Amino acid sequence: MTGLHADSIRKQIGGRQILNDVFISCSQGEVVGLLGRNGSGKSTMLKIIFGSLSADNKFISIDDQKINSLYQSKALMRYLPQDGYLPDHMKISTIISCFCNKENAAKIMDSDLVKSFVHRRIKQLSGGERRILEILLIVHSDAKYLLFDEPFNGVAPLYVEIIKELIKEHSKDKGFIITDHDYRNVLDISSTVVLMDNGNTKVIKEFNDLIKFGYLPAAHADSFEIGRS
Amino acid sequence: MRTVKGLYYFYIKLLIPSIVLSFVLSCFYMKRDHISAGTGISFILLTPTFHYFTYEIKNSNEYYFYHNLGFSKLNLWLITVFISISLGFIITSL
Repeated sequence: MTGLHADSIRKQIGGRQILNDVFISCSQGEVVGLLGRNGSGKSTMLKIIFGSLSADNKFISIDDQKINSLYQSKALMRYLPQDGYLPDHMKISTIISCFCNKENAAKIMDSDLVKSFVHRRIKQLSGGERRILEILLIVHSDAKYLLFDEPFNGVAPLYVEIIKELIKEHSKDKGFIITDHDYRNVLDISSTVVLMDNGNTKVIKEFNDLIKFGYLPAAHADSFEIGRS
Repeated sequence: MRTVKGLYYFYIKLLIPSIVLSFVLSCFYMKRDHISAGTGISFILLTPTFHYFTYEIKNSNEYYFYHNLGFSKLNLWLITVFISISLGFIITSL
């Protein structure tokens, strides 16, 4: 069974069942768009799959290998959290060399997006520049599966398009699970769409399912093709 | 090697302020021939304190950087305790 499989994920927080035997899978070449209302458990699920948050029950495997710890998953999976995760005190060039192999580090440093500020420190970057760098680091890592939590959050439209292109380009040989409230951009790049609702996942076949399951109001009933070609 | 480099940057943020403050405190509060003992003991206590305030309170999201390098929170705390005790004893015995 190739690919990333997360099965039987259960998590209760403060007496509320956030995740109830949830299943999600992703294979290389696939972009899974994960949608859901605020508090539906999207971020919690990504953190559990990544291994930074414990679950009441979980089974995570990558290419038939059971994953029990962050150490085991470090070469296979990377996680982009909602908020900035890069240490403020470090130089950008140092961070790049910590995160990526030599070949990919050179690619990032030569990239037009980063070249102009590669010798600065993280605290000297704007929010958009920082987000672009965070995403570049994750997509250029050795990992085959990438979990993105709100990559478009607080990012200017120009950067959003750049991020989408990066994801599309790298999805040829990597698997992505992406969650963001900017559902149009998520739908635009996703090959599979999954909705989180009442602690469960539902695979979305057509745009109107998002209205039927109460994620979007009926006013949004416009055409949007699910599953990019 | 890359993960070791990452760890270096995690701990350099803790160890330098911890050792400087330990030394300053023992200069103020210890007799001259007990300064290294005072520095060592302060270091054992201050390093986990700096870890707590720097990474648990102030910059908790930075943990994800180190998680992506393969280190869990527990790993990082265990290394902090190990470094603070071992380096603290070395400083004490100087």
